[in-house]
Amino acid sequence: MSGGMLYGGDEIGALVFDPGHHSLRVGYAQEDTPKAEIPAVVGVAPDDVKLEPEVKPEDGNVATNQPSYKYYIDTAYLHTPRPNMELHNYMKDGMIENWDLFEKILDYSYEKIIQSESQYHPVLFSESPWNQRQKREKLTEIMFEKYKVPAFFLVKNAALAAFANGRATALVIDSGATHTSAVPVLDGYVISNAVVKSPLGGDYLVLRAREMLEAAGIDLTPASLIASKDVIRDKDKPRFVKKKLSFQTTNSWMSYMIKKTVQDFQQTVLQVAENPYDERQVANIPSVHYEFPTGYHQDFGPERFKLAEGLFDHAMLGAGYIAATSAGMCDVDIRPALYSSVVVTGGNSLVQGFSDRLSRDLSSRSPGSMRLKMIAANGTVERRFGAWVGGSILASIGTFQQMWVSIQEYQEGGKSQIDRKCP
Amino acid sequence: MADVRDIMELERPPTPEITRESILGADKVKKRISTGPKVPKRPEGMHREVYALLYNDTKDAPPLFPTDSIRNNGYKQTKIKLGMRKPRKWAWIPFTNPARTDNATFYHWRRPSDEPKEYPFAKFNKKVDLPSYTDVEYQQHLKCDGWTKEETDHLIDLAQRFDLRFIIMADRYDTEKYSKRSVEDLKDRFYKICGILAKLSGEKKIYTYDAEHERRRKEQLKKLQERKPEQIEEEQFLLGELKKIEARKKERERKTQDLQKLISQADNQNETPRKIDKKLPKKKIANPSRPSRVDTNHILQVIETAGIKFPDYKNSGVSLRSQRMKLPTNLGQKKSKGIEQILQELGLELNPTPTEEVCLHFNELRSDIVLLMEIKAALSTCEFELQSLRHQYEALNPGKTLTIPPQLLSGNSESEIKVASGEIIDVVGSPGTPSNT
Ligand SMILES: Nc1ncnc2c1ncn2[C@@H]1O[C@H](COP(=O)(O)OP(=O)(O)O)[C@@H](O)[C@H]1O
Ligand SMILES: [Mg+2]
Repeated sequence: MSGGMLYGGDEIGALVFDPGHHSLRVGYAQEDTPKAEIPAVVGVAPDDVKLEPEVKPEDGNVATNQPSYKYYIDTAYLHTPRPNMELHNYMKDGMIENWDLFEKILDYSYEKIIQSESQYHPVLFSESPWNQRQKREKLTEIMFEKYKVPAFFLVKNAALAAFANGRATALVIDSGATHTSAVPVLDGYVISNAVVKSPLGGDYLVLRAREMLEAAGIDLTPASLIASKDVIRDKDKPRFVKKKLSFQTTNSWMSYMIKKTVQDFQQTVLQVAENPYDERQVANIPSVHYEFPTGYHQDFGPERFKLAEGLFDHAMLGAGYIAATSAGMCDVDIRPALYSSVVVTGGNSLVQGFSDRLSRDLSSRSPGSMRLKMIAANGTVERRFGAWVGGSILASIGTFQQMWVSIQEYQEGGKSQIDRKCP
Repeated sequence: MADVRDIMELERPPTPEITRESILGADKVKKRISTGPKVPKRPEGMHREVYALLYNDTKDAPPLFPTDSIRNNGYKQTKIKLGMRKPRKWAWIPFTNPARTDNATFYHWRRPSDEPKEYPFAKFNKKVDLPSYTDVEYQQHLKCDGWTKEETDHLIDLAQRFDLRFIIMADRYDTEKYSKRSVEDLKDRFYKICGILAKLSGEKKIYTYDAEHERRRKEQLKKLQERKPEQIEEEQFLLGELKKIEARKKERERKTQDLQKLISQADNQNETPRKIDKKLPKKKIANPSRPSRVDTNHILQVIETAGIKFPDYKNSGVSLRSQRMKLPTNLGQKKSKGIEQILQELGLELNPTPTEEVCLHFNELRSDIVLLMEIKAALSTCEFELQSLRHQYEALNPGKTLTIPPQLLSGNSESEIKVASGEIIDVVGSPGTPSNT
């Protein structure tokens, strides 16, 4: 009762998990940022491989549940090249797909991040608005049966992002790694029939950027494979020495690492133009200098805008279009409320100029008499962890404590009640 | 002094030589040093000003407040009492939440010293009241074409789960089992059930829901919302034009009013000179310096415009009807007091409920009251005038008496004066004052 009635808060030691394609966010409720952001990728390597001394993992960080495989989790372990280590993403289409790998991540979270036993902490999970019933039940089952959590709850991540921005009713535009979605939330409930999503997210930008860079002949060797490099002049051929590895890195590892490299490029360089892309208009905007891990560096001008334009120029999948479509599918009575709080969240919305352009596109598509208000948190943390922060708030509100599905209820009613109890 | 010496960089008095006296009278010497301003040596290289800042304890102004701590052995031994009480403990304590049906225990931080109360947030656990019906009731009263009992149950269940948020209910409707239904369909069925059940339980006031009307309203709203920018522009343009037209209309009305005023003024002016023309010659002979003649005319003029002119509210948009009963501000306190007085005498409310009719009559009544007051005032002025004329006449023609024809005297006014006694006489009498001059 530390918060007391005054703030309506009551912290009960709950944990908040926000699984995404890019990463899993984990932490304690009532804190303002997650304790850790763990990449949604697990490295799997046969256990019998003789490891080189320099990359020997400490015992704790490697889950060795299955005798024949080792699992590598979290950035530092993933980025180290290892023989035969294949990387797998356990997410698909915004939902958890590979439960075995996901459990590895959960084990790791409890052991290394939370450092406390799961049976003491109620757990709040976020989920995508289109999560399937059997997946919700499966997760419920795992949490109660395997982790013996005292209580569990599932909330749609769009609703959580709306809460984090102080809204219970909002049109949430969430641009993540694999998709951008427009989700209407009314009084904390997602209107599931009006959810619209497009596969244009951060990964799409990375893909296009990679194509462009490779076409330009730029070497994308990731930093973890480079032993040393020389300082060179602008646009000179890079001079660097690769690390000597006694083994061949796997394709999945290599493409993940290249993705990471391009992601950095994308995050620093790309910008969405204010208006639909126009070569001449954009030519006047100062270019951005970027140096690749190889030491190669150059200025990027119009390409910055051309690449980012992909998020908006698509006739049916642009962010402005899906937002307007989603609002248009809702009851006319609530449309004004939705338009007057358009919440922008997700890591990919941090691409420079994203919310300005979205605002422009949406206002040109929205009914003329509608008042449009964009709500985009300023801080990068709030934007990337919007759903987590919302969960952190929700799970530490006094009146929420009656909502949990407790282990007693689970034991009596089984996993199927999750659909009723977590709308 | 030491300071000055410092500034001048003069030598300090050398340390006293060790003599017998100095050793024996050590006490005395020490005392002398301690009574005078104690000046420790300034360290080499330290600026004089900085040093002065450091060592000015004894030169301090005396404290403004008497402090206990100094008298009771100085600051040294008094401890700050902040930490005296033991802090109350917080503990990770289990609690149950009466808002839950499963008696699950959770833990939170609480002071063990606070006696356990009911979970404070449980009281926010509010549920909507929903209609419930038995099988028999359903069969007898609630059957409806197009709705099975199962589907109706589903509807009620959704209403309970989503606290009557019909938009969410329509969104989560089980479309696998039942066909899709619109928000209006759901509301229609739900409120019909509520109505039937309310009637059964003998309630008088039954609310009805007009689904058709709602559908039409939404259709309209949709059209309104989906206007194209050009349409909105056009609408704005038309609204602007309308405003202009109205402004012009007002302007015209104002002008005609002005014109009418001018005409009536001109009429008055035409009349007054005529009256004066007619009467003046006689008066001038009789008493050329009599000012009261004009006053009478003035009073007559006042009576012509008497009553209350209530402002016209027709064109000024939306307003409360009670606004129309407001007395115009230029009425003056005397008159409004008088109105109040008479209303009270008549036993009427000062602020009746402003229905259309009441408004009209009330305003007319008050207008008449004012008119009455003005007429009375004019009458009494005239009477006064008459009397004073009589006196003048009698003074000028001693011995003669002027008999005023009885029709000029307000014989019937006596009864009125009786009615309008008290303060009204004051009101009535006041306009007569100028005739004293
Ligand atoms: N500062 C940034 N600028 C541009 N893009 C960013 C930034 N930070 C993260 N991203 C992108 O956001 C995406 C991850 O967003 P996130 O909301 O975490 O996705 P998910 O919910 O699917 O895990 C990644 O594609 C990443 O490249
Ligand atoms: Mg996300």
